[in-house]
Amino acid sequence: MEVKIENLKKQFGQVIGVKDLDLNVRDGEFVALLGPSGCGKTTTLLMLAGIYKPTDGTIRFGDRVVNQVQPRDRNIGMVFQSYALYPHMTVFGNISYPLKLKKVPKQEQMERVERVANTMGIGGLLDRRPGQLSGGQQQRVALGRALVKEPDILLFDEPLSNLDARLRLTMRSEIKQLQNRLGITAIYVTHDQVEAMTMADRIAVMNQGVLQAFDTPEDLYDRPKTLFVAGFVGNPPMNFADVSVMAEHGGFTARNESIRLQVPAERGQKAAAAGKVRMGIRPEDIHVVDEGDAVTAEVVIVEPLGRDAMLDVRFGSDQFLVLADPQKHIRAGDQVKLHFDMDSVQFFDLQSERSLLWN
Amino acid sequence: MAQATELRQVHQQQSTGASQPSELFGRSIVNFSLVIWALIVIFPMIWLAYSSFKTDQEIFFQPWALPASLQWNNFERAWVEVHIGQYFINSMKVVIPGVALTLAVSAMAAYVLARFRFPGNRIIFYLFLAGLLFPIFMALVPLFFLARDLGLLNTFQGLILVYVAYSLPFTIFFLTGFFKTLPSELHEAALIDGANEYQVFFRVMLPLAQPGLVTMGIFNFLGQWNQFILPLVLMSDRDSYVLPQGLSFMLHQQYYQNDWSALFAAVTIIMIPTLTVYIIFQNRIQKGVTVGALKG
Repeated sequence: MEVKIENLKKQFGQVIGVKDLDLNVRDGEFVALLGPSGCGKTTTLLMLAGIYKPTDGTIRFGDRVVNQVQPRDRNIGMVFQSYALYPHMTVFGNISYPLKLKKVPKQEQMERVERVANTMGIGGLLDRRPGQLSGGQQQRVALGRALVKEPDILLFDEPLSNLDARLRLTMRSEIKQLQNRLGITAIYVTHDQVEAMTMADRIAVMNQGVLQAFDTPEDLYDRPKTLFVAGFVGNPPMNFADVSVMAEHGGFTARNESIRLQVPAERGQKAAAAGKVRMGIRPEDIHVVDEGDAVTAEVVIVEPLGRDAMLDVRFGSDQFLVLADPQKHIRAGDQVKLHFDMDSVQFFDLQSERSLLWN
Repeated sequence: MAQATELRQVHQQQSTGASQPSELFGRSIVNFSLVIWALIVIFPMIWLAYSSFKTDQEIFFQPWALPASLQWNNFERAWVEVHIGQYFINSMKVVIPGVALTLAVSAMAAYVLARFRFPGNRIIFYLFLAGLLFPIFMALVPLFFLARDLGLLNTFQGLILVYVAYSLPFTIFFLTGFFKTLPSELHEAALIDGANEYQVFFRVMLPLAQPGLVTMGIFNFLGQWNQFILPLVLMSDRDSYVLPQGLSFMLHQQYYQNDWSALFAAVTIIMIPTLTVYIIFQNRIQKGVTVGALKG
């Protein structure tokens, strides 16, 4: 089922929750709504569910405008962060509840619940109550309850944030596979960018009620359209420094009082006319080198991450995060030489905070 | 996990071992006070219970001794001759519907007040609360005339309505707090699953509020069962006396008609329902069924 959101707005008293949101979700697509707490992503989801009524704008499921349609008539399934299982009902009772409310015959209820429970790997737990299940099992029951009525759209509200890290990894791929196999349109709210990047076909990044970008994970990462997206997507986050880009000796240089870096022509050209700009470069594009044309910096903090060591380095007034090989045994207080790989450098306008490269 | 278990064990050892002398001293004071308190509460009940099997002579001349033989006819006299049986049934006729109606009305009102935002919500809530501030004695005279004008004097329906009205403020106050603690996701989940608001209330929220309802049920049962002043004013007909009135009447009778053993038996009979209700339900008050609704 296709979902079309046009000019959607939600206001709580004076507070604007969601502002002029436009979003088209294709049939069978997995879309993540990503953003920090309070960015309006859950509000959007609850409007899709019919729990909140939009202040303005339209929501279409297929060709049908559903603004005024009750949640029960939207044929959606939803999985909550807290799972929201009915504690006084058994697992069977929980999963069969949507069918019972639809007055599906008993025999068919049993068959459908059994089928869903077996798919979710909880077939043996049907007599238990939610309180007797582990977090992962509760999550599967919640998913089963959402799937049993064969919904047109699946809504997820941070469903994995209460699970431990290992289980989160397993459930992530399970949910993705399941959605793929069933071909149900899925809208998934999360503040965890790794979840969004790994699961979603496209990610809608939101901040303060406004849609910042709606793109594939690769585009968001490599071609961020706004400063917010560049800073929000990626872990560790992108480094920023204010520089001026100038045409020199047939090439382009980005410079401020402490750095002076060669910029590839096609990127430099777009940034050169703009005066002072904000340069962005990801930690993995900065390398610690032993010699060569490099920036010298002082290491402030070293955080060992296992595969990499994350260095917090300072040069001039700028402070950057850099990933280094832990075998180099760099310590706080050391001086290191840094080489900047400028092929994927980003430039943003200081006023509009929009990318100078991708708009 | 292993660490947590270990910690717990250490903690248990500390709390059961009572190795510190000062801790031991503190705890014995607490235990001693509790034993005294228990004796104060339990002794009169036991004394009353076994005295109800004695003859009048035994009660007066050997007040602490056990009955020489069990005088079951004390209970028979209390039940039949002094009409305790009649009063008992009257009390049941008032208290059972009274408690049921109190819970039904309060649960619905509290649910709406706790979970829905609408203009006037707070005003209604505080109006209910204001009922708590109104002393019962101040209301007696107007209440009497109101009941008389409505033709409800000496009727069980009238007494039930008055009981319910007096039980509503606190019950609503308590249940509103209770409904507020139930997670709103459950409400949303039920709506998405296809329930309408009535189904959400009766199938999801009400079962979850069971511990609160049981607590309020017991509280109101005890309150209404022991209510004396309201029936004294509203029920002047001897045939429609409720138990506390009956007992009081019986006590006054003792001044000219000595039958203390029957009075003891009557008091014992009155205690039975309250004790039973409390014993049956005390575990359920503590048992929270919301465990598992939210992952903590």
